[in-house]
Amino acid sequence: MIDLFQESAEAVGTVVKRFVSTADAVSYVKGLAGDASPSASYLPPEIAGAFAGTVFAAPAELADTRLCISFAQAGIARTGSLLLELANPEQRSATALPLIHAVFLRGSSIVSDLYALGEILTRGLTSAKTAYLSITTGPSRTADIERVLTIGVHGPKELHVLVLEGE
Amino acid sequence: MGKAIINKKINDTFLRRALKNFAAAYPVARAKAFEGIDFEALRGRISDFKQAGLKGLPELVSRFKTQAEQTGAKVYVCSSPEEANRTILEIIRSKGADFLVKSKAMTSEEIELNPYLEKNGIRCLETDLGEWIIQLAGERPSHMVMPAIHKNKEEVAELFSKETGHDCPPDIPFLVRTAREALRGGFLTGQVGLSGANVAMADSGAIGIITNEGNGRLVTTLPDTHIALIGVEKIVPSLKEALDVIEVLPKNATGQKITSYVSFIKGPTGAGRELHIVLLDNGRLKLAADPDFSEALKCVKCGACANVCPIYEIVGGHVFGHIYVGGIGLVLTPFFHGFDKAEEILKLCIGCKKCNEACASKIDIEGLIVDLRDRIRKPMGQKFLFGTMMKNRKLFHAALRTAYLAQKPFQGEGGRIRHLPLILNRETANRSLPPIAEKPFRDLVAERPATSDQRPATREKVLFYTGCLADFVYPEMCRDAKESLEKLGYEVVFPQEQTCCGIPARYSGEMDVARDMARINTDVLLAQEADYVATICPTCTMSLKHDFQKLLEGDDVYREKSLRLAAKVFNYSELAARKIGFGSAQPTARSLSGVEGNVVTYHDACHLKRGCGVYEEPRKVLRELAGVEIAEMTDCDKCCGFGGSYSIKYPEISQEVLKNKMENIKATGVSTVAVDCPGCKLQIEGGLEAAGTGITVEHSATLVARKLRQ
Repeated sequence: MIDLFQESAEAVGTVVKRFVSTADAVSYVKGLAGDASPSASYLPPEIAGAFAGTVFAAPAELADTRLCISFAQAGIARTGSLLLELANPEQRSATALPLIHAVFLRGSSIVSDLYALGEILTRGLTSAKTAYLSITTGPSRTADIERVLTIGVHGPKELHVLVLEGE
Repeated sequence: MGKAIINKKINDTFLRRALKNFAAAYPVARAKAFEGIDFEALRGRISDFKQAGLKGLPELVSRFKTQAEQTGAKVYVCSSPEEANRTILEIIRSKGADFLVKSKAMTSEEIELNPYLEKNGIRCLETDLGEWIIQLAGERPSHMVMPAIHKNKEEVAELFSKETGHDCPPDIPFLVRTAREALRGGFLTGQVGLSGANVAMADSGAIGIITNEGNGRLVTTLPDTHIALIGVEKIVPSLKEALDVIEVLPKNATGQKITSYVSFIKGPTGAGRELHIVLLDNGRLKLAADPDFSEALKCVKCGACANVCPIYEIVGGHVFGHIYVGGIGLVLTPFFHGFDKAEEILKLCIGCKKCNEACASKIDIEGLIVDLRDRIRKPMGQKFLFGTMMKNRKLFHAALRTAYLAQKPFQGEGGRIRHLPLILNRETANRSLPPIAEKPFRDLVAERPATSDQRPATREKVLFYTGCLADFVYPEMCRDAKESLEKLGYEVVFPQEQTCCGIPARYSGEMDVARDMARINTDVLLAQEADYVATICPTCTMSLKHDFQKLLEGDDVYREKSLRLAAKVFNYSELAARKIGFGSAQPTARSLSGVEGNVVTYHDACHLKRGCGVYEEPRKVLRELAGVEIAEMTDCDKCCGFGGSYSIKYPEISQEVLKNKMENIKATGVSTVAVDCPGCKLQIEGGLEAAGTGITVEHSATLVARKLRQ
C-alpha cells in the first residue's frame, strides 16, 4: 500500500520520504526549514513533542513563512492523496499560504482509493461540529496558460510527505 | 451564427493550434486517468442518482437547506439571476465590505455577477488564473474548465504588464509567478470570499469544491465571510453520491486522476465566521420537471463534451456556446438564458454523438440538441421543403430527377461537379461533388426486378432500404450491396414505395414531418414478410432502428409497429458478417492479405459507431469478405464533417473538420478508404479528389462485391 502511495504521489510531483523513526522524520523537516521559523498546522502530541524547542511562526506571520508542517489523518494509495482535517481556519491558512508544505502521514492510515476514505469522511461530515476536510494531492498546479502545466500557483510549490512506517 | 465570427475563429491560428493540440492530448490523458476504472458503470450510477434526484429536486433542496442551516450556514434559494445578484450584494454590504475575492464559479458567469457588483461599487477579483486572465481581457470563458484556453502567452503577458505596471515577458512560469504575487494581496485583504461548488450533500449540508491552484482554499479560508453560489442541481443525497462525482470529474475534465485539492466544507468554521450558501434556481426547478429535457441537469460540468467535439475543436467556445459552452452548453442555454440566445448555436452541432460517448453522466446531449431545434424558429422555405415536398415521395423524387438535368452544365471531367454558380460555389470550393445519377437505383431495379438464381424457400429475405443519397447519387453502391448480399445467400427485395427516412426533417426541427416519414416507411417495410431490413446508410439505420420508436412512442397504432420494424433493421455490414464462415460460397479472402493494394483504412461513420454501436462487424467484413487488411488511422471514429445539410449550412466548418480527417487518412499511406456510409464517401472522396491525392473512397459493399466477382 505504501509503495503504491509513493508511486502515485511521486507521479504528481510530491516528494515522498519514508521513515522508521519519527525523530528522523522530524530532523528531515528541520532541514527543509533551515534557519527560518516554520509554521505548524495541527500535529498530534507525539509529533508535536518531537519538535520541542522549535519556535513556530505566529498566525500573523503565516503569509511570510516558507514552510508549513502538518499531519494527515489518512492517505490514498491510488492517487497519492492526503486527507487533512482543517476546521480551524488558522491551521488551514498555515497549509495554504507557505511555499513548502511538509505533511506527516502514518503508513498504517493509507487506504486503497477514494471510496475507501468514505467512512472517515462520513464521520467528519455527519458529526455535530462544523468541518473542513481537505484532500490534497501534489503541489498546487495550473495549466491555464496554453495548457502548460506549471507548479505552485496559489498554494504550496512543494509538497513533502513523511511516511511514518515504524509503529 | 454569424459567418464573420466563425471565419474569424477558423483563421485564428493560435486558437486552432491550441484546440487541436488539446483534442489530441485529451483522449490519451483521459484514458490513462480511467485505467482500471469501469467508466460505464461509474457514469451509469451517476446518471441514475442524478435523474432520481431531479425527480424530487424541490425536496432535495429543502433537505439540504435544513441540514446546512443546522450547521450554522445561511441558505438562500434564488429563482432568478437578479435575485441571486441582489442577495450576494446584500450579504457583502451587511459586512460593510467593498471587495470580493473569488474562486472559479460558472454560476457567477451565468448570473453575470461581476458587472452587477462593480456597478454597485463592489470590486471583484477573480483569482483562478484563467478567470483572472479573462477578467483582465473583459471576455467570457471559452471552456468550462479551462476558461482562457483561447489566450496565448503573448496576450497574457500584455494583460499582466498592463495590470501590474511591470514589463512581463511571455514566459509561462514567469507569468504564473506574477499571478501568485499579484493576487496574494487580494487573498489577504479580501473581505468576503466567493466560490462555487462541484457538489452539495443533502444529508450533511456540506459542499464539495474541486480545484487545482489552491485559490479555492484561500478564498474560503482567509476572509471571514464565505459565499458559495451553487446551482440547485449540484445537490446529491449524500457523500456516497458525491464521491462518484469527485471520482469522475477531474478524469473527464482534464485527464487528472484527482485534482490537487478536494475540499469538503460543512458550516462556518471558526468563531465569528459566516457561510452563506446561495442556491441558484434560474430555470433549473422548471427544467427538472420537464419530461423531455430534465436529463440535461444531470450534467456535472466537466466540459468533456467540448473536449471531444469536432466542431468545438474548430471554432472554440466563443462560437460553440453562450456562457456554458460545448454540447451541454447548447442544451442549457435556452433554459438558463432564453431561446433567443440559443437559436443560432443549436444549429452548430453536426450530430456526431462524440459528446454522448464521453459524457460523465450519460446524457444524450446530441439527442437533446436535435429535440430542442423543434422549439426554435424555422428558416423561411423550410416548411415547404419538408412539409409539402418531403412528405410527398413522388414530388420529392421528381425534384431530384429535375436536379439531374439542372446540374448537367456544371459537370466537369469524369462527370463530377467542381464549380457551382454564385452562392452555391462556396460549398464546393474545396471538394468535388458527385452528380445526381441519370438513373437512380430504384429505376435500375425496376428494369431488372428478378435475380437469376432465386431459391426463396431456403433463403432469408431482406428488404433493401437504400436511403436517398445512395439511391440517387450512388446507384452502383446499391447494386453492389444487393448483389453481394445475394451472393452471400440472402434474397434481396427493394420496396419501391420507400422514401426519405426523415432525418433531414428531424435535424431541422420539423418533428411532425419526421413522424410522418417514420409512419410511411414503417408501413412500407412491414407490408411484406421479411427476415431483415438492410440499409447501407448508417443514418438511415439509426433512424429506422432507434429514432422511429422514439418519434412514435406516443402513437398508439405505430408504437408497436415501430418496435417490430426496429427488431429487423440492420446495417449492411451486420448482415454480411453473419455469413462469414457459412456456406460453400465463402471466399478465402485472407489468402490475399498483405498484398500491395489490399490495405485500406477504415473510417467509422458517426451514426454507425455511436448511433448503432456497430464497429466490429465492418472490420470483420472487410478482412474476411473483401479480403483486405486494415491500417487504422488516428481518430478513425471522428466525424468527417459531412453531417448531411450541415455541410451546406456551415461549409467553412465542415471543410475544416474534413481537413483533419484527410490528414489522418494520408498519414496511413493507403490508397483506399473504406466506409459504410454514402455521406462519408461523398464528403471524404470530394476532399481527397479536390486535393489531388489519388486516394479513393469505397463503401464496404463495393469492396465485398468486387471480391465476390473475382
